[in-house]
Amino acid sequence: MTDPWIDRLSEYLDGELTPAERAALDTHLAGCRQCAMTLDELRAVAARAGALLPRAPESDLWPGIAQRIDAPPAVVPFSTRRRRFSFTMPQLVAAGLALMIMSGGGVWVLNHGGRATDMPKVAASPSAVLPISFADPHYDEAIADLQQTLQDGRSQLDPQTIRIIEANLAAIDQAIDQCRQALAADPANLYLHNHLAEARQRKLALLRRAAEMVNKG
Amino acid sequence: MEALALVAPVQAAFESDAAAPRDEVALAARGDVRAFEALYRTHLPRVHSLVRRMRAGRDADELTQDVFVRVWQKLGTFRGDSSFTTWLHRLAVNVVIERFRTEQASRARLHDGEEIFNTLAGPALTRDVGLDFEAALEKLPDGAREIFVLHDVEGYKHHEIATLLEISAGTSKAQLHRARMMLRKHLT
Repeated sequence: MTDPWIDRLSEYLDGELTPAERAALDTHLAGCRQCAMTLDELRAVAARAGALLPRAPESDLWPGIAQRIDAPPAVVPFSTRRRRFSFTMPQLVAAGLALMIMSGGGVWVLNHGGRATDMPKVAASPSAVLPISFADPHYDEAIADLQQTLQDGRSQLDPQTIRIIEANLAAIDQAIDQCRQALAADPANLYLHNHLAEARQRKLALLRRAAEMVNKG
Repeated sequence: MEALALVAPVQAAFESDAAAPRDEVALAARGDVRAFEALYRTHLPRVHSLVRRMRAGRDADELTQDVFVRVWQKLGTFRGDSSFTTWLHRLAVNVVIERFRTEQASRARLHDGEEIFNTLAGPALTRDVGLDFEAALEKLPDGAREIFVLHDVEGYKHHEIATLLEISAGTSKAQLHRARMMLRKHLT
């Protein structure tokens, strides 16, 4: 027979139970291993969902959009257009991100077990290759605060959740590093700037989500 | 229908709108195609991912194009009350929901069986956990998946989802729980 409390676990997780219901479920959880395990699994599912990275489509959708909005064709010499599409830096970056997600996070979790920021760099240290500054004191301060919150509240999260969060942080950090290195070679590349901004925002979003989970207890 | 204008999705992490400079938005609103293309390039991954996840990949490219065409058409109505990213996301969700409504007049899909998901094997052996999870997500019934993506991926609240999908908040909660219970089998 299914435990009736199981159907309330998502509401518990999302803080949507009344204080009385929450207290009753707390009591139940203390003695029900099945519900406690299920709650951990649901928490991990929510964490995984919150850490999903955006992915661009395989093909460029702009030509179809431009046609529909009746945009004039760009006045770009054919040779330039060819060169642009043969370069495909965004595709390379996207492939790199996908590869990192596929391999980097898993390998790091299996072999390292440390903090996300301990991940080995893919190539040379960014400080050695960056010709432009990426400093953003407000962003860095927010990241540092959130990382401290997560560090302080680690004991309140189950190990699987911690593992998922750290694996995703590591993948994002690696993506940021790769974007920075690519930008060092091509500082004016709009696509790379966009990828970097997206990765940094994703890291912020993930840390905020994790900190929220810690604060919810 | 503009139901999304009534709701306020929770996307605090993106409220800063660092990826959408105001001058770019303003230029695009005045008809500057190059500025609009830059906005498209900036927001394409997130918009396409939202559409793809809500639709389990179905017509994702076409719908993403629909979103940006709609953005182009409505950009003049963007007043900056919310961030451009939030505004864009509301519009994208609306486009997806309209497509679902076109396909199915009723919300019967919220009650379809779990047998679809049961065709999935257990946890995959690959370490590509992100893509495994996305693959599992695609196998969810439409209704459960929509709600899961809106709540757990995009950060909407149940009352917002209820308004968007014209269902009760209780149904939204039940479908979210159902989706999570299905997906937990694919975590390890």
